[in-house]
Amino acid sequence: MTAVTTESVRVAESSRRARPHEILRIVRLHTVNPAIFFGVPWLILAGAWAVTMVIALIIQAAAGPLDQAETGFEYSWAVLSPQWYLIVVGVQAVSYTFPFALGFGATRRDYWLGTGLMFVIVSVVNAAAIATLLLVERATNGWGIGAGMFDALWYVGADWGTAFYTTFALQLLVLFIGAGITTVYMRWRMRGMMTVLFGGVALILAIIAFLTFTETWEPLGTWLASIGVVGVFTLVLAKALLWAVAGLLVIRRATPR
Amino acid sequence: MTTTVVRAHGLTKRYGSFTAIDGIDLSIDEGRIYGLLGRNGAGKTTVMQLLTGQIFPNGGELEVFGRQPAEHADVLRRMCFIAEAQRYPEDFTPAHVFRSAPWFFEHWDAEFAERLVADFRLPLKRRIKKLSRGQLSAVGVIVGLASRAPLTFFDEPYLGLDAVARHIFYDRLLEDYAAHPRTVVLSTHLIDEVANLLEHVILIDQGRILLDRDADEVRGSATTVAGARATVDQFVADRPVIGREAIGGLASVTIDGRLDHDERVRAAELGLELAPVSLQQLIVHLTGAELAESTEREVAA
Repeated sequence: MTAVTTESVRVAESSRRARPHEILRIVRLHTVNPAIFFGVPWLILAGAWAVTMVIALIIQAAAGPLDQAETGFEYSWAVLSPQWYLIVVGVQAVSYTFPFALGFGATRRDYWLGTGLMFVIVSVVNAAAIATLLLVERATNGWGIGAGMFDALWYVGADWGTAFYTTFALQLLVLFIGAGITTVYMRWRMRGMMTVLFGGVALILAIIAFLTFTETWEPLGTWLASIGVVGVFTLVLAKALLWAVAGLLVIRRATPR
Repeated sequence: MTTTVVRAHGLTKRYGSFTAIDGIDLSIDEGRIYGLLGRNGAGKTTVMQLLTGQIFPNGGELEVFGRQPAEHADVLRRMCFIAEAQRYPEDFTPAHVFRSAPWFFEHWDAEFAERLVADFRLPLKRRIKKLSRGQLSAVGVIVGLASRAPLTFFDEPYLGLDAVARHIFYDRLLEDYAAHPRTVVLSTHLIDEVANLLEHVILIDQGRILLDRDADEVRGSATTVAGARATVDQFVADRPVIGREAIGGLASVTIDGRLDHDERVRAAELGLELAPVSLQQLIVHLTGAELAESTEREVAA
């Protein structure tokens, strides 16, 4: 033994568990490369818009009945085109920045909270933009050529608030599904992914079987109709929160590759 | 008084049936430069991942700054560890890395980072995945140096660096370490390059610690005795032999432990040559034992 006394240093733990700046820096990290969250999704939306415009022009050139065309556009899924891509955004957000943030000394908890906050911000911005574009489309009578991209599906007849709320809920769910699945991969790798995938399929089959055997399809339909579009999207929002909480539980023990 | 920043006891990490870290005891004191040495796959990176809370141990106790590192923001804030295979966000450039670094390292010195970028001639606007291995190492080295984290890890910082860049790293680390004392843990298998930098050596092999000693002690701790085989064998008879090479009637044997004056005189009288063993040679002897054994067995077979 040497004559040197050894003392273990113990850092003081901050009284507040959450330091806002440690969560906000994760949001900033996600915005360093804006192409992932904003660039590509809006490029897809713009592409879908352009295609819709061309179709409208073709119909007009063919002198088709404009009122019928407008009804036809109501079945267009173009408005949803960037939404599906947000699954990829959710996957990329976690798989690219999680190992980096952890390497830079962020906690998994702060990382997930920051990422969730980023998802909320992105969903709010996108939902506000889409709801506003819906009103613009209506005001310009289909961009002046009777084209309908945003005034479709459940957006038909919806006011700004409803359009905003439903888009927000859907975007948040899709982002959290993408991110949540990626956290499963980060923690249990391929085996975990397969388990979740097959588990999910089995769960859906079980629900279908249950509804079929108990003949509750119709009551379910009636119930969904009774709660209306806003009600249905409140369920979507609840599901998004469920994924968010599940993701937090999974990521707390996840290890980057 | 010495302050211990890392204390591990029986630390174990398993991947399935493979034991990467096999119950090691470790303690790291404040304000010193540690070398975490060992062969490829010895477990160097795993140790650093455990200490920085990037992976979770399967057993044992671990305290970094008095707490378990994983998920403790107050502990993680004091560390910087850029893994040799660190992943960066898609399309990130070094410029992005250095722009986001101050959000995570409170002592970040942007001016110092700029100077290092110039020293290493690192292209700031090139995507990380387009960088050469040496340039990628430079990114990690610059973050490690400019972060001035109280506990800084360098994981194979020399990988792919050219001779000039290696020299720059060596100089800048010593300069900055003198001006801003901190604890540095440096992993490498290029031992001679860093030998003079290290104050303490931790040698790890197959998940176990073979050597955990002051670098100065290690440097003089082994001696190579060369000469006629019979004389050498007689001289080293009751000493711990850690390496042996023989060609014809000549032998060169490395023994653990210092020789005192009388022994040196005796060796000279016997016509034996004594040579100091460099850190690298010593480590080759210590970790290459299995290799030597297996060759002998092959010869015997």
